[in-house]
Amino acid sequence: MQLKKLSILTALALSISAIHAEDYVSVQFLGYDEDSGRSTVFSPIFGINKDIGADYSFNLSFGVDSISGASPTFYDSVSGASAGSRGVTTSNSVAYGDIDYDDVRKFVSLSGTKRFASRDELLVGISSSDESDYRSLEISSEYLHYLDSSKNRSITIGGAYQKNSVLIPCHGNPQCDSESGASKSFDIDVISGEIGFTQIIDKTSLFKTSVFYSLEDGYLGNPYMNIVRNFSTSPLIEAERKPDTRVSYGATLQYTKAFSDRLSAIGDYRYYSDDWEISSHTLALELNYDLDDKWSFGSGIRYYTQSEAEFYSENMDYFTSEKYASSDRRMSDLSSINYKLSTDYKLSKKISINSAVVYYDQPDWFNSIYYTIGAKYFY
Amino acid sequence: MKYIIFILFSSLIMGGCSIKNVKSWEKGTLAKDSMQSNLGNSLLSKFEKHVYFSKEATKGGGGVAGGGCGCN
Repeated sequence: MQLKKLSILTALALSISAIHAEDYVSVQFLGYDEDSGRSTVFSPIFGINKDIGADYSFNLSFGVDSISGASPTFYDSVSGASAGSRGVTTSNSVAYGDIDYDDVRKFVSLSGTKRFASRDELLVGISSSDESDYRSLEISSEYLHYLDSSKNRSITIGGAYQKNSVLIPCHGNPQCDSESGASKSFDIDVISGEIGFTQIIDKTSLFKTSVFYSLEDGYLGNPYMNIVRNFSTSPLIEAERKPDTRVSYGATLQYTKAFSDRLSAIGDYRYYSDDWEISSHTLALELNYDLDDKWSFGSGIRYYTQSEAEFYSENMDYFTSEKYASSDRRMSDLSSINYKLSTDYKLSKKISINSAVVYYDQPDWFNSIYYTIGAKYFY
Repeated sequence: MKYIIFILFSSLIMGGCSIKNVKSWEKGTLAKDSMQSNLGNSLLSKFEKHVYFSKEATKGGGGVAGGGCGCN
């Protein structure tokens, strides 16, 4: 479900593309495969960008995610490997394994940018996604203001509001009013903001930094993740429960440098912290090389590490009566590393083709490969 | 919070060390796709964020920091 959610960042990221506005249509095919075929995703995405004069730009993107696979969680082996396999059981019947799922998500994003006489920019965006158990609607806006006449220094202030609705199976979930086995819809509201600062240092380098904040409020658990309580006395398998609010903040740094007409590098760092006691550090480096007017090649490496949520335990003999409890691996102390190769080929002045492959590894958990091929037509 | 303050402070100092007044006609290199993540492929960047969001517990920080090269 998480994979399919349109994030606030998505809409805001679209705004960045609008800054380098051009008229084009694009199509991108994306695939994702985890080891042993545990999860696969296939997603065609379409994009249209249109300038109207020098003062207005519009961007539309839409697509479909087809997702199938399995998530690991606890279940009662007597009643079968399903997320709804919950209730009082025996210690011998508690199992941990992959629960199958599949879903299709449809999503669309639209944004418009207005440039003023000062060349300051105002962007407004709206995004929506829909799947069988999750709906999301988001509005976002950001304002870019140049701080000097040469437009070498700017500040960007952005904010977004996201309204989500998640449908959860009630059986074995104490957050539902009944134990009838029916589903119930819960809301998730997300408010986020970010302030960015960009400084052009010279003709070949620039520097960016930002601070960001987010408040999530609602059903923040994964409705298909289970925990075990009282394993050593009277084992009970039920839905995990995460706190109903989450406040997070962080900061980013980015430095981009062209070493020559052909070779450039982008270095990124992000710090994150929230009131679930999770903090993370992300380091990324990309090297891009323009072979000639037609071929460009990119490579990248990213390292990520996070601390564990205060209510997390992977041990089945841990939880008793705690209010908040989760065995969702994403809440654990983990690190990941990924390697990326990409290329872009300009077939003509109007058509370019791109491809990329990324290897993503979380040691001791899983690894995956995702890949993409796409084309862009300038009109 | 002390980390954020430290990072911002360091950033501003570093950025202020050797800043040149770059004219608009000198920004050709800065405007190239190769100066952007994923060679300027925003759809790939969007998909990457989905992967990280689904496999890791944290998100944020990729939104508004990219603007303002004055290349238009």
